[in-house]
Amino acid sequence: MSKKVLIIEDDKFLRELLGKKLSSLGFDAVLAVDGEEGLEKIKTEKPDIVLLDLILPGINGFEVLEQAKKDPSVNEIPIIILSNLGQSEDIEKGLRLGAKDFLVKAHFTPQEIVNKLQIVLS
Amino acid sequence: MENLNQEIEKKEEELRKIRLAFLNILEDTQDAKNWAIEEKNKTMAVINNFTDGLLVIDHENKIELVSPAIEKIFKQKKETILGKNIFKIKLKEISLKPLTEALKKKKEVYRQEIDLGKNVLLEMTTSYFDFGKRTGILVVLHDVSKDKLVERMKTEFVSIAAHQLRTPLSAIKWSLRMILDGDVGKISEDQRDLLEKTYASNERMIGLINDLLNVTRIEEGRFLYKPEKMQIEGIVVNVIQDDEEIIKMKDINVSFKKSKKLLPLVVIDQEKMSLAIHNLLDNALKYTPEKGKIEISLEEKDSNIIFKIKDTGVGIPEDQKERIFTKFFRGSNVIKLETEGSGLGLYTTKNIIESHKGKIWFESEEDKGTTFYFSISV
Repeated sequence: MSKKVLIIEDDKFLRELLGKKLSSLGFDAVLAVDGEEGLEKIKTEKPDIVLLDLILPGINGFEVLEQAKKDPSVNEIPIIILSNLGQSEDIEKGLRLGAKDFLVKAHFTPQEIVNKLQIVLS
Repeated sequence: MENLNQEIEKKEEELRKIRLAFLNILEDTQDAKNWAIEEKNKTMAVINNFTDGLLVIDHENKIELVSPAIEKIFKQKKETILGKNIFKIKLKEISLKPLTEALKKKKEVYRQEIDLGKNVLLEMTTSYFDFGKRTGILVVLHDVSKDKLVERMKTEFVSIAAHQLRTPLSAIKWSLRMILDGDVGKISEDQRDLLEKTYASNERMIGLINDLLNVTRIEEGRFLYKPEKMQIEGIVVNVIQDDEEIIKMKDINVSFKKSKKLLPLVVIDQEKMSLAIHNLLDNALKYTPEKGKIEISLEEKDSNIIFKIKDTGVGIPEDQKERIFTKFFRGSNVIKLETEGSGLGLYTTKNIIESHKGKIWFESEEDKGTTFYFSISV
């Protein structure tokens, strides 16, 4: 069965590029455009893994992460932060809140992101 | 009778002399007093106009002197604390606990950062001195609240800039990569060639933005984000690993000579130190021709840890050696090499090393190679 990946990303182009890449590799890509929708879909879609942006309209990625980790029905779902923030304060905060990894978008190609996903999934 | 008169005159003469002597002494005393007053006024003028806050605490922990700047820092009139025991004072707005905690250690401190709450951040310097047979403490408080505020604003700015600048670059990177990886269909060799070059340009842009962001963060340099006691060796190993691909590509022999004995721990900010070492290695790799040699070593010497990186690269022209650490500087010989570079690497590195209270220096000969060193005290 194909693994379900939830992409929470407000930039349409980035969201679709990543969705396309994941679909072409046989993943089931589910998309969310902001924090509210993302949190909702974490609960309803129960993805195998989440790619989470930090700067989002409405509730930001840190809050999504925090709330997801507080909810016992979904707190086992691994979340990887995929953001263009990347200062040590941000990275540390993300990891402290329970993210599995912190990837800076501009430093990874779609394939490298998928590789990171697969490491966490296996 | 005659005798008596003579006797009186003699006494009178003596008395006159004594009076004169007294007058002289009085004059001297007056001079001394004037001098003392003058000295006191001078000292008070210095104290009153000193922008840092000054406290003098006597051997019984009583506050003996309070400078006007203290009133601003403590947000309290000086009469309310003068003569009181420093360990027993309670201020209305801020807590003196971090200050008294530091005093309890009975050790001189230099620019130790203390946070008194309510956005009052100070750098405290203490020195012990003898007055008479007793020991007093001079406490100098330098207000860094504003610096910190600027630092915070800068951090916020960097966050926003990083995000705004990197997002479109990520989009370009991802789509180019997907086209190049054949995710959206086959492309011709000519198309590939062109797109690879575009991809490389975009990567250069991403690198430039990273450099700029690092400079913005580090320029103030005085504040290490997270100083921790650790082994520097692990950082060096990681940095070399990060560059493995370029090392292989350029076929450069990179060796790391570790110290024979275990090096002592040093206080470093891991992220910044990594960046500093990374910049030095990157430079060595960039400016050393293919099949060259880079030797890295760590050793302890006179309670300093010395990092050394020696390459067989193009070297630094003699007339440009002075400017090597200035912002945006690039050597005339390396600009000709067409290698990319922002001229920010060594500038950033120097700031980082100096914020660790270390020293950085180099030796270089054109067309032979360069050796950079830095030392951090244990």
